[in-house]
Amino acid sequence: MASVGMENTAAHSGREKGGKPVRLAPNYWPFVIPALVVISAVIVFPWVFTLWMSAHRWTLGQEQSFIGFDNYIRLAGDARFWESLWHTLLYTVLSVVAPLFLGTLAALVFDAQFPLRGFLRGVFVMPMMATPVAIALVWTMMFHPQLGVLNYLLSLVGIGPLEWIYNQSTVIPSLVLVETWQWTPLVMLIVLGGLASIPREPYESAEIDGANAWQKFRYLTLPMIAPFLMIALIIRSIDAVKSFDIIYAMTQGGPGTASETINIYLYNTSFAYYDIGYGSAMAVIFFIAIVALSFVLLMVRQRTNWSEMEER
Amino acid sequence: MASVNIQNVQKRFGTVRVIHGIDIDIQDGEFVALVGPSGCGKSTLLRMIAGLEELSDGEIRIGAREVSNLPARDRDIAMVFQNYALYPHMTVKDNMGFALKLKKAGAEETRAKVDRAASILGLESLLERYPRQLSGGQRQRVAMGRALVRDPQVFLFDEPLSNLDAKLRVQMRGEIKALHQRIGTTTIYVTHDQVEAMTMADKIVVLHDGMIEQIGAPLELYDRPANLFVAGFIGSPAMNFIRGRVEEGVFRTGNGLTLPLPQSANPATLGGRELVCGVRPEHIRAVASGGIEGRVELVEGTGSEIYAKLTCKGDEIACLFRERLAVRFGDTIQIAIDPSTIHLFDIETGKRI
Repeated sequence: MASVGMENTAAHSGREKGGKPVRLAPNYWPFVIPALVVISAVIVFPWVFTLWMSAHRWTLGQEQSFIGFDNYIRLAGDARFWESLWHTLLYTVLSVVAPLFLGTLAALVFDAQFPLRGFLRGVFVMPMMATPVAIALVWTMMFHPQLGVLNYLLSLVGIGPLEWIYNQSTVIPSLVLVETWQWTPLVMLIVLGGLASIPREPYESAEIDGANAWQKFRYLTLPMIAPFLMIALIIRSIDAVKSFDIIYAMTQGGPGTASETINIYLYNTSFAYYDIGYGSAMAVIFFIAIVALSFVLLMVRQRTNWSEMEER
Repeated sequence: MASVNIQNVQKRFGTVRVIHGIDIDIQDGEFVALVGPSGCGKSTLLRMIAGLEELSDGEIRIGAREVSNLPARDRDIAMVFQNYALYPHMTVKDNMGFALKLKKAGAEETRAKVDRAASILGLESLLERYPRQLSGGQRQRVAMGRALVRDPQVFLFDEPLSNLDAKLRVQMRGEIKALHQRIGTTTIYVTHDQVEAMTMADKIVVLHDGMIEQIGAPLELYDRPANLFVAGFIGSPAMNFIRGRVEEGVFRTGNGLTLPLPQSANPATLGGRELVCGVRPEHIRAVASGGIEGRVELVEGTGSEIYAKLTCKGDEIACLFRERLAVRFGDTIQIAIDPSTIHLFDIETGKRI
């Protein structure tokens, strides 16, 4: 037994008795290959292919030709691209801030004890479970200037009919309203989880230290749930920046191009105008922007995470 | 600093009454320990003094002010919690300065007060750390520092040493006592550990089932416990309780064991009554001859003392010998009890005779 044990030890340490490194047999490859194949097929290949397409003049039905960075240079001078970038930014910021604010407020409400809390919480999270396209259809009807329920409700309080998604100046706020309605519950759930996990004892300390309700929220609750708010912020930011289905189903980027985000413009370029090469260049730039945004958000998250502060 | 006056304080949770009308007078600068077993209401009483729990009835005054209906933040008290209750997302410095920040104190004043408290408690090198980076004892000090910075009229401690290991507990016990002697602020200290209460307090309030069993100086409680509960609670190891009657000028148990009576006891008035005789283990001496004979059932030596359980004519008696005795399980030894150290209690009322 003793000799077997010693052999095992030598094998584990990767060295023979004489101290010479043992070359490990490459027999682990069969286990890795399936995963590599899948990753290559669904992640690596599409991206390499997208990069390749973006370097070509590639219009369906026409001959392809290598043009280097021409598509990227064309993007820089494309006013519609910059407009769609601005729409994306506006849509993202509003679709992150509004659910974050309302979701935190809702979490604070649902963190308190009151009758029917569980039932009401269940009702509150229901929008999150609905299909975006179904939501889009229902909200399109609600937004209808003549027949929609929203204008009817506004008329009850004396506010004139709005054109909602049918007007260039109100279309993005209207879409954000739908996005907020659907995703506030997600933020609420994340923050509620955070509220449940924070220690309660410091609140008694703060009470004795002289804090009022607002100061307890400002100096205790908010910093202690900050890591959870950051998680919600990251999830919402990534979701909002690549939002497509609701916008496409409700406005298809219209009226005109008033709600055309990069995603919609990219889709239209590639699949309506069949300018695949140019659309691919947009996709690459958009991807880099999302990765950069995620990186920045993750960095900020590290800074707000008090529970991991000792590691730094 | 201020006196604390507690009058007829009661607490009910629904129909359950947990504090039954308590009256305590705490002098300015006094260190008072509220001691009792778990569930006796000591922490509830402290939380009512702090303002974290509402009074069902009664009145609490701090100094000249009636504070019963004031929120905690207006009572000018500082509290150290059992679990420290530090702010986990703030550094030690921010934890200690938080109360001053709320009062909108200047940065200079805050730094001076935090530095002073840190130097008293030896926390200077830890000011930039977060609570999670501290040991239990250090967190305990920060909690005390946070209280110190406030410079309150009254310090409240809610079992602050319970989460520390035995060695650290003894060390912190000394530090809290030294701190009180240095700054002299009125202190109310809750503990279930009678040793802590005995070593630290000027005055001990023994609570049981929401009622006060006895209030007194530590030695007063030890020497003249008012009833069986206090007698059994104060002192370690616990007092021996032996049931019997006074017959022919001695105390005699049903098994025939006889013990001397204290000089103060009048055999004529006690004759025939069933009583409980209380003897502290440390008041029993081993003698060579002429004592009470007992068989050794258990021996535990710690080096400084020997704890032994004897069976004397069927009655079990615990003894604590300070001398090195060569006793072993099964030996028969003789013991003697100084009559002046014997306590007598009424078996029905439990009160001291």
